[in-house]
Order: sequence, then C-alpha cells, then structure tokens
Amino acid sequence: MTIHRTLEKSLNRWKEISGLDFALIAPDGKEYVNTGSRKLPSSQNLEEFLSQTAISKASGNLHYFKIYQQEELSCLLLVWGKGVSSHTIGELAVCQIEELTDACQQRLDKNTYMQNLLLGNYTPIDAYNRAKKLRIAHQCPRAVLLVQTKKSRDEAALSMVKNLFTARTGHYITSTDDDTIIVVKELSPGESLDSLENTAITLVDMINTEIMTQAWVGYGNTADDLNQLPQSYQEAQTALTIGRIFYSGQTTFSYDRLGIGSLIYQLPMPICEKFIKETFQGESLDSLDDETYTIIRTFFENDLNLSETARQLYVHRNTLVYRFEKIQKKYGLDLRTFKDALTFQLAMMVNNYIEYRNSADS
Amino acid sequence: MASLSLQHINKTYSNGYEAVKDFNLEIEDKEFIIFVGPSGCGKSTTLRMVAGLEDISSGTLLIDGKKMNDVEPKDRDIAMVFQNYALYPHMTVYDNMAFGLKLRKVPKDQIDKMVKEAARILDLEKLLDRKPKALSGGQRQRVAMGRAIVREPKVFLMDEPLSNLDAKLRVQMRIEISKLHQRLGSTIIYVTHDQTEAMTLGTRIVVMKDGIVQQVDSPSVLYSQPANKFVAGFIGSPQMNFLDGQVVQNGGEIQFKVENYALTIPSSKASVLKDKGYVGKKVTLGIRPEDIYDSQVFLESSPGSVMESTIKVYELLGAEVYLYFDLGDAQITARVDPRTAAKSGDPIKFALDMEKAHFFDSETEMSIVN
Repeated sequence: MTIHRTLEKSLNRWKEISGLDFALIAPDGKEYVNTGSRKLPSSQNLEEFLSQTAISKASGNLHYFKIYQQEELSCLLLVWGKGVSSHTIGELAVCQIEELTDACQQRLDKNTYMQNLLLGNYTPIDAYNRAKKLRIAHQCPRAVLLVQTKKSRDEAALSMVKNLFTARTGHYITSTDDDTIIVVKELSPGESLDSLENTAITLVDMINTEIMTQAWVGYGNTADDLNQLPQSYQEAQTALTIGRIFYSGQTTFSYDRLGIGSLIYQLPMPICEKFIKETFQGESLDSLDDETYTIIRTFFENDLNLSETARQLYVHRNTLVYRFEKIQKKYGLDLRTFKDALTFQLAMMVNNYIEYRNSADS
Repeated sequence: MASLSLQHINKTYSNGYEAVKDFNLEIEDKEFIIFVGPSGCGKSTTLRMVAGLEDISSGTLLIDGKKMNDVEPKDRDIAMVFQNYALYPHMTVYDNMAFGLKLRKVPKDQIDKMVKEAARILDLEKLLDRKPKALSGGQRQRVAMGRAIVREPKVFLMDEPLSNLDAKLRVQMRIEISKLHQRLGSTIIYVTHDQTEAMTLGTRIVVMKDGIVQQVDSPSVLYSQPANKFVAGFIGSPQMNFLDGQVVQNGGEIQFKVENYALTIPSSKASVLKDKGYVGKKVTLGIRPEDIYDSQVFLESSPGSVMESTIKVYELLGAEVYLYFDLGDAQITARVDPRTAAKSGDPIKFALDMEKAHFFDSETEMSIVN
C-alpha cells in the first residue's frame, strides 16, 4: 500500500471519530486526500501561510498545519472545525501523519533493510521477501566494510562516505551504533580481497584528507548472497577489534589476515594470565626499562642479528650480549635463540591483550 | 609564514614497534622538503605526525613557533594529498572541490571564490561542470590537489600522490607539482619512495631508513657527498656500485686492494684514510656507474685503476649504454657512451675515476672521506 493510500485510510477514520473534515495537500496546492471534498483555500492564502515561520494557524473554521519529514516540509494538513479542540485534533493528526510517514519510509528504506539484515533481525525468508520488495538482488557478491573514526558520531565522515558510495551503484551505507559506519559494497566481477584492501585504504586516506581525522577500516570475507552478509559483518567487526589491539601501526584490517592476534584474542583471560606468569616466572614486563625495550624491539626487527642491531643502536656488540644475559637471568629466556625470542614476542602480544581487556573492563 | 620545527620526534606503537626514532628537522617557510626512503622507513609515519593523524610518542612539533602536539588536524592549518584518493562520482569538479568546505560550513560565496581561484591555479576552470568519469587521469589528479588548495593551508602534506599513476603521467604531474609550488609559494612536505622524484622536486631531501634520519641535504650534496652506504646506494639511478676490499700501503702509495687488483687512491682521499687509521683495514669502495669508463683515452690516463671482466648484459637506452659485468662477487653497472663498441659476451677493460670514488667503513657503513 502506498503512503497516500495509508494516509487516506487514516484520515477517513479520523473523520468518522471526530466528525471533522481533513485534507492533505502538497505545498504547491496539489491535493492528495480530501475527506469531505471541501473547497481548498486560495493559493494566495496558502502561500501566505507557507511564508510564515509558524507551523500552524487558525483562520476562522479552517486550521492550517505544516508537516515535516526529516526536517523538510513535505505537505500541509487542513482541518475544518470550530474552536480550540479542532486545532488540538489537528495537532494530534500531524503527529500521527509524521509517524506513519516515517514508518512507511523506513519500510521502503534500503539502508535500513541492510542495517536490520546485518543485525540478524530477519529470518531468511523474511530477508528474501523484503529484498524482493525493495528490488535488492538476493544473489550478488558483496562485502561489508566497517569504518571507525577517532570521534564517534562523526557526521562529516558519514556524509563523505555516503557521497563516495551512492545507492544507485548497489552500495549501502548505514550504521548500527554511534561509533561505526557500515559500507555494504557490491563487488564487480573479478573484484577480490585485494581490491577490498584498496577500497579500505582509499576510505582511510579520504577521511584523513577530507575530514582530517584518523580512521580505521575492517572488512570480512565476500558474501555471495544476502543471508551470508551477517557473517561478513561479524567478520569485519572482529577484524577491526583485533586489528586495533594487536596491529596498532595499521589502519586497515582484513579478517583473513589477522594472524596470531586472532588466536590470542580467543584465549580466555585466565589462560593469558597463566601464560604470562609462566613465561616471566612471576616477574612483570613493566619492570623492563625503555632502553631494554628498544634493544629487544630492534633485535627482533633485525631478525635476531646482533651485529646489525648493535650497528643501528650505535652500541658495541658486547654491550648487547651483556644486556641479553641480564634478560636471561631475570626471565629465564635467552632472546638470542629463536624459541625463546618467539616465546617472548608472543608474551608481549598477550600482555598487550591483557592490558586492553583490563582497560575495556574498567 | 609556515616554518616547522620537529624536535626529537619519536613514534612507538602500543605493540612496542618504533616507527620513528629521534627525528629532528627545521623546515623554513616556502621550502619543498622531501622525505624519501624504502617502504617501512617511517617517512609516512612522520608526515602523519605532522598532520596530527598519528600521536607523537615523544618530542615536540612546532608550526610557526606554536606547539602542535595536541592540536587536532583540522586546526593545524594544513592540507593533505594522499596516494589513494577518490573523487565523488556523482558530483561535478566544482562540487568535488567544494565538498570539504561545505562540511566545514564555510559560507557559500566564500566557497565559490576559493574553488574558482583553485581552479584557475590548476587550469581546471573549463572543467568545473564535468563529472569525474569525463576526466583524464591527470585532470582527476589535479582535482584531488584542488581539494587541498581550496583550504588555503600554510603547509601542504603530500604522501606519494603520484604512485598510482603510470610512468608518463607521473613525469607530467611532477612538473605540475613543481610549478604549483612556485605559484602558491607554500611550504610543502612530500613523501616518496622514488629517489628520482625526490631528486627532481625537492629543495632539501631527508633520507630515512628504519625510522632514523640518514642524511638531510640538497639533492646535489646527497648525490656527491652521501653520508653513508645506504644513502649512497639509495640515491642515484642506476645504483652506486660497491666493492669490498682493503686499504693497503704499497711503498709511498695508498691503494685499494680488491680481487687481484690494487687501485691507486688519489692523495686527497688517501691522506684522510691514513689519518683515520684505515690502512690495513677492510673498507667498501663506492663508485657511480657514470664514473666507470671503457674508453681508450681514459684507460690510458688512469693506469692505476684499470680492471678487466666480461660483459654479461648490454643495454642501449638511446642516449647512453649500460654495461653489466661481475668483479668477484660484486655486480658492476657502468654507464658509458652509446658509441661504445662493447657488446654482450665481450671482454672489457674498464677504469674507475678514483677522484669520484667514495669509501665506507665496513662495520658502521659511514662515509670515511665525505
């Protein structure tokens, strides 16, 4: 049923209840609904009312009301009746009409459909039927990208993303919370995860340069039909969460390339804490000074090459040997061996994860 | 005015990774500064710290004397042009350039003035009504630059803006950017991994590796006086040739011993090597391809640096020829006159212009003579 048919039905019911006549017209005077076939006011009177800032006025037995949709004037309601009570009925009718219009619009809104689909609010059959009504292809390769900016509820970023991906091209932009913009992107033939990485990088660069704020993008695997999209959304969320914990130097994160961070993220906290206790034999990683941390980092970046590390840090090789012997004495780990270096690296990642969970919980 | 001061800037991520280590640089107003280095060297991270898109772990950033560490990017009076840009597909060139200003609620008449001025500078005036799909690659790149210019910033930050363009367009756009710098008279910080781009565009170049500044100098000084082996090998195409050998004293002469050869080192360089205690020590000799000669005239005038090999590859580039041959484990590239008679498979006698040779410490890789 179209919106006007719905409103016509409602206005006729209100006439039966209140005994008043109602008419719904466009701002240019075009008639949508007229319950009593009443004569409409002259165009001069209509224009006079439109030019005023007031949202309603009473002129004899005729009451004028402006109706807005998403802050824009959509139509006018006219109510014929005497006294204040008629005006009040008119005001109630305006509320109802605005609500009904929003509800109908929402039903027809493709982006809202996508939002509900991603949140798993539809059964498979419901999702299929609604997609059919909205003329959204059921079987079509798509991917979900999630965009986070430094500031939550960043309207400028949302506006920018919307303008990059328009609905006409089969892409949908929506959000399920204040922090994240969701892009459901239709993929062209031949588009792969690599091209999604390019899209993610472009989004980050565009937000950096146009909106001048930090941004991060996570994306999941491709979905070949609509019912797979909720999973793609979950994967994108996971990618973003894990990526921001473990790979803080990056701004784009693919679910398929989360590496060891993905494993650590799934570990229960007691296991993580046990691992740290075992690895460092009760000692804390916090007791490492900045200089030692730098030495360890540089050593790992140079693939456990002592000479190259010494050269980069402008220290003697023997100084490094002494430092590593000190670390070994403290933690029982000889970082010059692959096995212990790997253990230490894993422990640092687990430690970062524990810190993240503690700060998230507090 | 737009001078910048980066003082002991460090960037360490939460996972402990140190992307930038003790970065110090003073940038004068209107300078065109290039950050160059291999992938992962910290050049983009440094640029992003200047932009405010990365937090500075420690150190101070000043723009025109004001501390900017905690200032939001939009309040730093900068504009950015990054590698991966996209134009809004359904908007005209005018709207593409105006969009950022509309988001910042700049008045309409002011937007109009700024967009038209930027269009005039970029020669886009006749294209303002076109949509992106009707533009060439170069025109789209100019629109992307236009989006930055309309902000009328003190400083432009460009991160590999030409990397996605084909080689021909890259050369064209390089010239455009150079002209833009002259027209705008703004300070520009430009990041690239391409040393040719760096050498042709910048007034000063910052060479970075592993988060550390290797050398800051003009293109000509970087080329002729590299501070270390990394800079020497990174700047210049084809790359500088490196030969590992030993400095020896043979009677009154200081020589460089490599394979079966003993090359005479000119007295100006020899005295430095001797004074710094390098006689008897291993060093690396660096020589640029254009300082290797196969002509009879040069061979006869430089008997102390003549060596022999066999040409493996001969490449004719039109105005010059590259010859590739081995000396022990080292692969040598020589840039010679196109009239050379040498061909692949031929034996070759070649000589080094030892006046142009560089010497690097084998351990620290620092330049000894520069």
